[in-house]
Amino acid sequence: MIEIQNLYKTFNKVQVLNGLNLSVREGETKVVIGRSGVGKSVLLKNIVGIMKPDSGSIRIKGVELTQMPDKEYDKVRKSIGFVFQGGALFDSLNVAENVGFFLDEFMKLPPAQKRMRIAHALSLVRLKNVEEMMPSQLSGGMRKRVSLARVLCMEPRIIFYDEPTTGLDPVTADAINNMIIEMRDKLKVTSIVVTHDMTSAYKVADSIAMIYHGQVIADGTPDVIRTSHHPVVRQFVNGESDGPITEDESMKYGHVK
Amino acid sequence: MIIVLVEKISVMVRGFFRYVGELSILFTHIVTAAVTPPFNNYRFLAQAERVGPGSFLIVSLVGLFVGMIIALQMAYMMIKLSAEIYIPNVIAVSLTRELAPVLTALIVAGRVGAGITAEIGTMVVTEQVDALKAFATDPVRYLAVPRFLALAVMLPILTFFSTAVGIYGGFLICSYKLSISSHMFWTMVFDSLAVKDVVTGLTKTIFFGMIIATVGCYEGFNVKGGADGVGRATTMSVVRSFIMIIMFDCFFTFIFYFLFNA
Repeated sequence: MIEIQNLYKTFNKVQVLNGLNLSVREGETKVVIGRSGVGKSVLLKNIVGIMKPDSGSIRIKGVELTQMPDKEYDKVRKSIGFVFQGGALFDSLNVAENVGFFLDEFMKLPPAQKRMRIAHALSLVRLKNVEEMMPSQLSGGMRKRVSLARVLCMEPRIIFYDEPTTGLDPVTADAINNMIIEMRDKLKVTSIVVTHDMTSAYKVADSIAMIYHGQVIADGTPDVIRTSHHPVVRQFVNGESDGPITEDESMKYGHVK
Repeated sequence: MIIVLVEKISVMVRGFFRYVGELSILFTHIVTAAVTPPFNNYRFLAQAERVGPGSFLIVSLVGLFVGMIIALQMAYMMIKLSAEIYIPNVIAVSLTRELAPVLTALIVAGRVGAGITAEIGTMVVTEQVDALKAFATDPVRYLAVPRFLALAVMLPILTFFSTAVGIYGGFLICSYKLSISSHMFWTMVFDSLAVKDVVTGLTKTIFFGMIIATVGCYEGFNVKGGADGVGRATTMSVVRSFIMIIMFDCFFTFIFYFLFNA
């Protein structure tokens, strides 16, 4: 479904993605783990075309995206939902307008049908009576749910989650994890979840890939990753400060968010 | 020492041309998006409401006081020459051709231009602009075009009101302090004004509106960092708008001078 080969991305002479290879099967939930600022979000933004890679190949269903003109890329974007880390809800729009953004911009549905679609999307993320609220009135968990509802209104085939549980309390984080699993099981979407929260990774993943120094150094099922003998993977998944990953790495490798 | 100085100047010159180049690209992008469908009247009207009625009071107040100040300053000189009868002419022509357009543009740059940069800059920092792109929506079409059109349309209207209120301010001083009769004042005002004065004064404000919107959006879209970056971009937006408004005012005055005096 998604094939990434030899992807390179540099920011101000700092190599962030360094020949990265990754593949995601149709209907699979792939979790991408790695330290903060290692380039996980950059990877998602490159796939969705918010950023342009320096070189390499990104294919979705066999179609090469890196050389695609912007107008054609827009057609691909309409099948990809992106749940941003902080929700990225539009401040000037209320919840209903945020959730119905895609419908307003591209579908021009009759008001009654639009209201129904918005209510349905909100019910999928278990939110009620929030349509008139503004984003500033929502809690962190609610913002992520509304962000997911906004994506669901598009009826995407692929969903990218950027740090979906970061900054949430454990109960809310688990509810978000359950929703990610539900989206895969009910809607059969293909997903990439970027996180450094290992509890979440083990729970939602069909497979886990770890990025280190701009490359995928391990890729396998949650059990394979959990029992990996690779010293970097072992140190990261066990959350140990001693090991090959050092505190000053961000200085040496210039990690970029 | 000289090499360091040359290098510094070279960096500044390159920076200047990069800025002008990027601003021109954004301007072209905005104009292209503004004249090609789909059009969104709702977003344009929402912005026009923020620019127009929102700035009306402050623009009128400044116009009123500037009109009164010109009348008093002119009186100081003209009375010595026994030429106070020409004060209405000076008020009308200076406000219509120069002062009201430039002052209104500067006020709107400070009030609206800074707001545009802060709003778009915050959207960049909180990934809302990335979200627009992810939703296959061009941020320039969605955010910049309505603001650009609103400013280009509303600035001439605000300038017209500012001029009218300014002339009325001059009238208050002339009639209550300088004993120029009401009939005489308005006769002198309308006799001194030609259509070209009004047209040139209002025409350049359309371009000032475009400058404020383009600079405001450019600085907003290029915000780096967090709240600090938004603050710096907002300051830069106001400073650069001010400089460009004065620069283009000089340019337009030059053009109109040769156009109408050739």
